[in-house]
Amino acid sequence: MSMTESLSHGTSWRRVKSVIFRAFTLLALVFVLGPAIWLIVGVVVKAVPHWSWGVLTHVPSGNGGGLENAILGTLVIMVGVLIIAGTTGVLAGVFLSEFTGVNRKGRERGTILRTGIDVLAGFPSIVLGYVGYVALVVGLHWGFSLLAALIILSLMVVPYITKATETALRQVPTSYREGAEALGMRTGYGLRKVVLRTALPGIVTGLLIAESITVGETAPLLYTAGVTNNLPNWHLVHHPIGYLTYYVWTDWNQPLASLHYISYDASLILLVMVLSLLIVSRLVVARSQRHSEAAR
Amino acid sequence: MEEVSKFKVASSALDAELARLDPDHDRPREVIATKGLNLKFSDKTVLSGVNMNFERGTITALIGPTGSGKSTFLRTINRMNDRVAGFRHEGDVLLDGESIWGDQQDLLTIRRRVGMLFQRPNPFPMSIRDNVVAGVKAHGIARGKQLDVVAEMRLTEVGLWDAVKDRLGDSPYRLSGGQQQLLCLARALAVGPEVLLLDEPTSALDPISTEAVERMLRAMTPALTLIVVTHNLGQARRISDQTMFFFNGQLVEHGATSQVFQNPREIDTERYVQGLMG
Ligand SMILES: Nc1ncnc2c1ncn2[C@@H]1O[C@H](COP(=O)(O)OP(=O)(O)OP(=O)(O)O)[C@@H](O)[C@H]1O
Ligand SMILES: [Mg+2]
Repeated sequence: MSMTESLSHGTSWRRVKSVIFRAFTLLALVFVLGPAIWLIVGVVVKAVPHWSWGVLTHVPSGNGGGLENAILGTLVIMVGVLIIAGTTGVLAGVFLSEFTGVNRKGRERGTILRTGIDVLAGFPSIVLGYVGYVALVVGLHWGFSLLAALIILSLMVVPYITKATETALRQVPTSYREGAEALGMRTGYGLRKVVLRTALPGIVTGLLIAESITVGETAPLLYTAGVTNNLPNWHLVHHPIGYLTYYVWTDWNQPLASLHYISYDASLILLVMVLSLLIVSRLVVARSQRHSEAAR
Repeated sequence: MEEVSKFKVASSALDAELARLDPDHDRPREVIATKGLNLKFSDKTVLSGVNMNFERGTITALIGPTGSGKSTFLRTINRMNDRVAGFRHEGDVLLDGESIWGDQQDLLTIRRRVGMLFQRPNPFPMSIRDNVVAGVKAHGIARGKQLDVVAEMRLTEVGLWDAVKDRLGDSPYRLSGGQQQLLCLARALAVGPEVLLLDEPTSALDPISTEAVERMLRAMTPALTLIVVTHNLGQARRISDQTMFFFNGQLVEHGATSQVFQNPREIDTERYVQGLMG
């Protein structure tokens, strides 16, 4: 084979490889986007024709009614998880990234915390739910309750927040930290004003994933929150609470068309919630990053 | 005859009076001094036995081949190395005659008094104005409307005001590299340091920006004391009063810049300043 021949052979092979690669990327895109679009279109098509705004202002009754209790319940659970899992997760992430390192004996600090979080992340949600049922609902006599649900859901999503926070913080350039240090900023001050600000998109993404999981969970909630057609109240224990995913599932399994509509309504509302969450978080990030190195 | 001697007496009295009024009159002439300083990472010695005085209001250039410990030495002076894994020091660094590691020393105050400018411009991810006043805010030196005054003053001082006065709320990363470095200089100056440590401050800049920064540095003395690491021998010669040459883990030679460059005492120094070494 002559020199030019082997060269042109190499080029064409490279072209083939690039085409194959592009095909795979496209396939992956279809694989991810396809079901998402199918899902969204399906829900919208089924829910919108029968949509009535009364769903937002009525609680379930008989074979119809609305979803007010479930909408408020889901919102309360989301806020609760954001507070509990958000603070613990972000603080744990900050600790793992900023305050570990090697101790005097040459051992890595934070190992126990890191292992614990990995173990937690590996638990199936239904197992966690059952643990919550045994330990909190029955064991502590809380009954089906908001607090039991919040604790179990928080345990479930905390690993995502911690990992996202730690990763985001570790990617902040050393030059920012050193700049803050050299100006005589206190460690905590520099962390808040310079480092965390830079890591915010990653942290928000972690929170977003956590909230999306929270919104979509059913199994652990059945074990801990119970369910009720009443509106949520301010009691942390002894009062069950309703949430949207419950109605998506149960009403769809009923033989009545009116209940099927409710099921689709609940799905649509969940979709809208997740999408608004996405939009709001993007706005928050965009606003906080307008002076970032990436945004120039 | 009598007149002249009377004048002499009066003038020496005046000198004494002026000296007494000088706010620095009872402070040591050397603002920074190192005493038998050994610097190590784990068990590897980077520098040993450095004894050096840095006189108030002078510029000192630190030169030497790569890996000779210039940055390590510089970063020791404002204790930036303290938290680096494996770093250990023996001997002492005195700031105004007091050990920087002394019990009654406050680390944050040391960092305020001894500022630092890095090789790569490192503005923070906040607006240009907020960058200038970041340290001022952290130390509670000024607040509210005063911050705007500080920002304008410092930006004017580094010659950046006209270029940025209409975009103070903008991202600093849209400035050129040289402008970003000047911004960092303004930020460092804003907290009112006495000493400024500069680690190759112009190595990422073009000749024009370099000249601007050099002019700025010259203008900052004698109000400030500068210690500048540089690979640019021309720069060392242009701006510094004294030069230190590091090589093989030692401070091989130090002295007036003209002496070090024109009559080096050591053969290694001679080879280095003539460009015959790394
Ligand atoms: N964090 C660290 N841990 C271990 N060794 C280090 C560390 N920082 C620097 N060193 C070592 O110390 C020596 C001196 O490094 P230093 O950065 O002070 O050199 P330098 O004179 O500034 O070089 P350059 O001109 O390339 O910037 C080098 O051998 C380097 O490998
Ligand atoms: Mg260096």
